[in-house]
Amino acid sequence: MGAASGLQVYRYEEFDQRFIDERVAQYREQTQRYLAGELTDDQFLQLRLRNGLYIQRLAPMLRIAVPYGTLSSEQLRALAEISRRYDKGYGHLTTRQNVQINWPALEVVPDILADLAKVRMHCIQTSGSCIRNVTTDQFAGVAADERVDARPYCEIVRQWSTQHPEFDWLPRKFKMAFNGAAADRAAIHVHDIGIRVDRTGDEVVFDFLVGGGLGRTPAIGSVIRTGLPERHLLTYLEAIMRVYNRYGRRDNKYKARIKILVRAMTPEVFRDRVDAEWEHLKDGPSTLTPEEIDRVVRCFEPPAYPRREDQAALLAERRLASPRFNAWMRNNVAAHKVPGYAVVTLSTKLTGVPPGDVSDVQMDAVADWADRFGFGELRIGHEQNFVLPDVPQEHLFELWERADAQGLASANLGLLTDIVCCPGGDYCSLANAKSIPVAEAIQREFDDYDYLHDLGPIELNISGCMNACGHHHVGHIGILGVDKKGAEFYQIALGGHAGEDASLGKILGPSFSRDEVTGVIGKILTVYVDERIEAEPFLHCVRRIGIAPFKERVYANAG
Amino acid sequence: MPTLVRDLEIVPDAWTLVASGAVPAPVPARAILPFEEWRERRAVLPVGRTGTWVEGDVEAEAVGPHAANLPLIAVHFPAFADGRGLSLGALLRTRYGFDGELRAYGDILPDLAQYLHRSGFDAFVLADRRSAEVAIASVGSITDHYQASVRQPVPAFRRR
Repeated sequence: MGAASGLQVYRYEEFDQRFIDERVAQYREQTQRYLAGELTDDQFLQLRLRNGLYIQRLAPMLRIAVPYGTLSSEQLRALAEISRRYDKGYGHLTTRQNVQINWPALEVVPDILADLAKVRMHCIQTSGSCIRNVTTDQFAGVAADERVDARPYCEIVRQWSTQHPEFDWLPRKFKMAFNGAAADRAAIHVHDIGIRVDRTGDEVVFDFLVGGGLGRTPAIGSVIRTGLPERHLLTYLEAIMRVYNRYGRRDNKYKARIKILVRAMTPEVFRDRVDAEWEHLKDGPSTLTPEEIDRVVRCFEPPAYPRREDQAALLAERRLASPRFNAWMRNNVAAHKVPGYAVVTLSTKLTGVPPGDVSDVQMDAVADWADRFGFGELRIGHEQNFVLPDVPQEHLFELWERADAQGLASANLGLLTDIVCCPGGDYCSLANAKSIPVAEAIQREFDDYDYLHDLGPIELNISGCMNACGHHHVGHIGILGVDKKGAEFYQIALGGHAGEDASLGKILGPSFSRDEVTGVIGKILTVYVDERIEAEPFLHCVRRIGIAPFKERVYANAG
Repeated sequence: MPTLVRDLEIVPDAWTLVASGAVPAPVPARAILPFEEWRERRAVLPVGRTGTWVEGDVEAEAVGPHAANLPLIAVHFPAFADGRGLSLGALLRTRYGFDGELRAYGDILPDLAQYLHRSGFDAFVLADRRSAEVAIASVGSITDHYQASVRQPVPAFRRR
């Protein structure tokens, strides 16, 4: 299998390449003006943020866009090289399917952007109050439960939102996600705009959810439109964005997200406003043409899969021989829509390594596997893992051995120790508390795979502050770092979930010191094991019995 | 010194901005009045000779219907990162057919010029000459964009 055949990524044309090349030159000129003292720190802040550059606690941090989490092996190798040349040889996979590097010097960022542009990558709108990277299901195109591959629509929205003349200076950051599968792996209920993609007859249609989000004021999005035909995608988005840009609050950054506007107006009034605006835009020149949809859809057409057979017997034999391979197969390998293939998730959640951190050597290795065991394409999931979408089943064991040697085969996907975690107080200047050491302590304490498998699927999310980059509100167990008179404490909530039946976690009670957290998690798990009925998953158990029994046990000796 | 850019050239400014509550009588030629005060006086002002200024958060529905009688509308940007004026400008041009001078002033960073230009502003007031020159250059820094704008109403995908 080679990288040349059937690579499913958006194919840049002259137009696309010229745009990002010119954007690099534009940013280089902005940096030069800043270094020459022509721009104040505050002015340059807004410009650099629109190019993904944060100034963090220890050093600048550059967030590189990986549109909807899809990249080629060539692009991943380029990221590995950039991390070696400009950084300390590692990168960080984010919950928005992007990649961050943590030590670039401000002066050389334009050079990094130029290197990225050579492989059709950029940092455009990865931060700042603008439309951010559009995300989707990391299994898009290969998932057995998929209705419609959402990637072409993500790409169409990426292009439309790139330096939009009206919507690049919004009240606050703006995040969109698409989901085209039965299971919602894109968390569309907790995005500023979540779009459900479906098919009626020959036509692709969209449902729009608006005003979901995490952060300080977590909210589940409201449905404001169902069954919108695909040609109207951009004009309808323009209508939503125009209402938000005009009426979203700008006096208080904590009340500036669209969820606050939707709540203040009520979803019904907001919907009516959008509809009134859309009346003017509908069927205008931004209406998508069949030719344009077709052009982009064709970039993501399935590769010509060589015929293969399912390898049930071979795999059963290997699984019997190796309990570790068996555990990995059970947790990290998902069904593929084509017989003989499998979808593999390479976990970055090795105990002792910050979740999402990957070295240059690992990036190069993953790129090689994407070529050797696929069509040269791979994904980053919002759980901060790599996904190889097209692995022939007969090569699963070989891939596992290689991944294991690189520390990328933790068989904990979807289990307690597959922790989603922000960089926290070790790196981020916004954080109230550290998050990585908490994740590590939990991974060290609960390192018995048999126990983890017995517990079954548990999503544990950690955020170092209310900005909720670790999505703690939607963790089955959510941990939030808080500041209590200058000391780091942790609030714990239960029952959050980001799927189709989304819910926000309920806070147990007073927060805990860092030393207490692991013990508290242990008590929570004991309550679950005592209370569960047969194979009832953790989330269902919490929903059935409520948080009271957990609360009772956790605070039993607290006096 | 504040420097006016119109149609991507530095030009002298023949207009005078009048602050709220400071409208002289009679109103001099080429004055830019606060919108409420322009509206109160519009019956007695010579037609098409007096401009108005508004804040970026004014309802387009309030100003738009007067577009045909106004030679100039100036939109105040209280902070360069406040994008409300961009939507207002686009609405005045596309929905109300305003074809006079659409001017942005206030906290105008040169880097905002490309957005102003594309949202229908043909004039902007920069802090000084150097900023004005940077603003003009920045408008041309990107040859073509993906999406439609007031300046280019046909999106790139219809021009491929």
